[in-house]
Amino acid sequence: MIKEYLKMIIVLTLIATVCGFLLSAVKTFTFERIEEQILVNVKGPALKNVLNQATNNPINDRLEIELDGISHTVFIGKKDDRLYAIAFESTGAGFGGDIGVMIGIDIRKSTLSGIGILTHQETPGLGSRISETSFTDKFKGRSVNDNFKVKKDEGAIDAISGATNSSRGVCLATEKGVVLYSKLKAEILKKIKKRSNKK
Amino acid sequence: MKKSLFQEFFKGFWEILPPFRLVLGLCPTLAVTTLAENGLGMGIATTFVLFFSNILIASLKSVIPKKVRIAAFVIIIATFVVVVELVMKAYFFPISQKLGLFIPLIVVNCIILGRAEAFASKNSVLRSAADGLGVGLGFTMSLVLISSIRELLGQGTIFGFGVMWSGFEPFGFMAQAPGAFVSLGMILALINLVPKKL
Amino acid sequence: MEYIVLAVNAILVKNILLAQYLGNCPFMGVSKKTDTAAGMGMAVIFVMTFATFITWFVHYYFLVTFNIEYLQTIVFILVIAALVQLIEMFLKKSVPALYRSLGIFLPLITTNCAILGVAVLVITKDFSFLQSIMYAFFSGIGFALALVIFAGIRERFEISHIPAAFKDMSIALITAGIIAMAFYGFKGLDTSLKSILIK
Repeated sequence: MIKEYLKMIIVLTLIATVCGFLLSAVKTFTFERIEEQILVNVKGPALKNVLNQATNNPINDRLEIELDGISHTVFIGKKDDRLYAIAFESTGAGFGGDIGVMIGIDIRKSTLSGIGILTHQETPGLGSRISETSFTDKFKGRSVNDNFKVKKDEGAIDAISGATNSSRGVCLATEKGVVLYSKLKAEILKKIKKRSNKK
Repeated sequence: MKKSLFQEFFKGFWEILPPFRLVLGLCPTLAVTTLAENGLGMGIATTFVLFFSNILIASLKSVIPKKVRIAAFVIIIATFVVVVELVMKAYFFPISQKLGLFIPLIVVNCIILGRAEAFASKNSVLRSAADGLGVGLGFTMSLVLISSIRELLGQGTIFGFGVMWSGFEPFGFMAQAPGAFVSLGMILALINLVPKKL
Repeated sequence: MEYIVLAVNAILVKNILLAQYLGNCPFMGVSKKTDTAAGMGMAVIFVMTFATFITWFVHYYFLVTFNIEYLQTIVFILVIAALVQLIEMFLKKSVPALYRSLGIFLPLITTNCAILGVAVLVITKDFSFLQSIMYAFFSGIGFALALVIFAGIRERFEISHIPAAFKDMSIALITAGIIAMAFYGFKGLDTSLKSILIK
């Protein structure tokens, strides 16, 4: 009887140990690639779109800025080695859940250099059309002081027909983003100056 | 009468084709089949886990005490699931994002534990490997079939290629949960019309 | 207020069975009679809440502390399996009446992907502890509700004429599709409730 129990414990422990070792080996092997993939795949395409004139790699030149205890990742776009725009993430509630939006702002002109949808759970074929450039381009080039609301809410943005709530979510994220920008601007410029002075 | 290795492999394609003949593993079948690409990804991930867990369980069957076999099976299956999770994140990131929650849930896909208990714990390693691969590929095939139909009607494309005529209005219902249930039910009825033994 | 929105979301809008596709095996398996369906529903509510309670602690105080979040899947499933076993033994000894009504469903629950699904979901959604417990509880109620409705319809199949090919699973799936369509009508209810109640 005792022998039987002992066998159970030993076998299960052995299996679990071997599995644990196998997994930690796989984890070490894939760790760096996963980190890189997350940045490149989730943020990369949207970044390329919103900072389309950047000649540097915004992912490598990112900054962490803290505001009210929350850390924001700010991606820096440089043209000919000089800062021209920044990009960061913002969210707004859509139809199916939160919509994550990458907001690019041209610092010199105080306009949006573009927005890109990072994550959403909107209805495929309807609300999911917020990711199409025909919609996101409506934000491009607008001043940061614009009224980012859909026309139904007396704003400036044409909502996608049949997907007003999803369009609203994107507008909300943009509005929040612009507010965040006005709070972060000074800090960002200071940090960038500090960094270039160091060089 | 014992089946040949070849028959063990091919039974997964028709005789016990999951999820139609073996009505198991419905959650991934319904959830990830909005796009053909997702169905294929899910199928391959499941096949990987099924193949390796079948081999390992068959080779350890004499060592594992009967009373704790389910616990041992679950540990082995879960290990391979985590391997798949990590590898997919590292090399097939976009698809792993789309499948999301349903990759860890391969652990509780009844097909895998079902094959471990009903087949791998009683048969030789070679047979279990053939069984795992056959059932896995059969499952992949079914997922691709369902997801192609849903993608075609729901979005007018297959594997992302537009194949419908230009004025085609996507049938949004098919991309949603109700469409998943109804299309699976319809295909099941069609398959029921054909006898089990060909 | 927040929890009312959460309840509406979990029970009606994002019903775990009908909109999130979790837990479909027991949904098809134990829905032939209303009373078994009700029993299963109760068992799921109970285990789901309890399992999420434990896994939440395991995640934040064990996995995060030791920086091994990648082992989440394997640890959660083992914790859930052990928990179900313990609940079964406890009920058998101490509350035999409850054991007689719920007992037979407990072993089935370990492989119910809704349990593991909700446990993982509350982590990916970054829910607080109370939110997680509430979400699990309401999801369980949503599961029970859908299961009982479904079983009620399925009982009538016995006296209806159904074409041979559609018998059993096929017609069950199509029925589930129609119920899911009915639940689809609730979509957007939570976001509008949110905008009324909060703010």
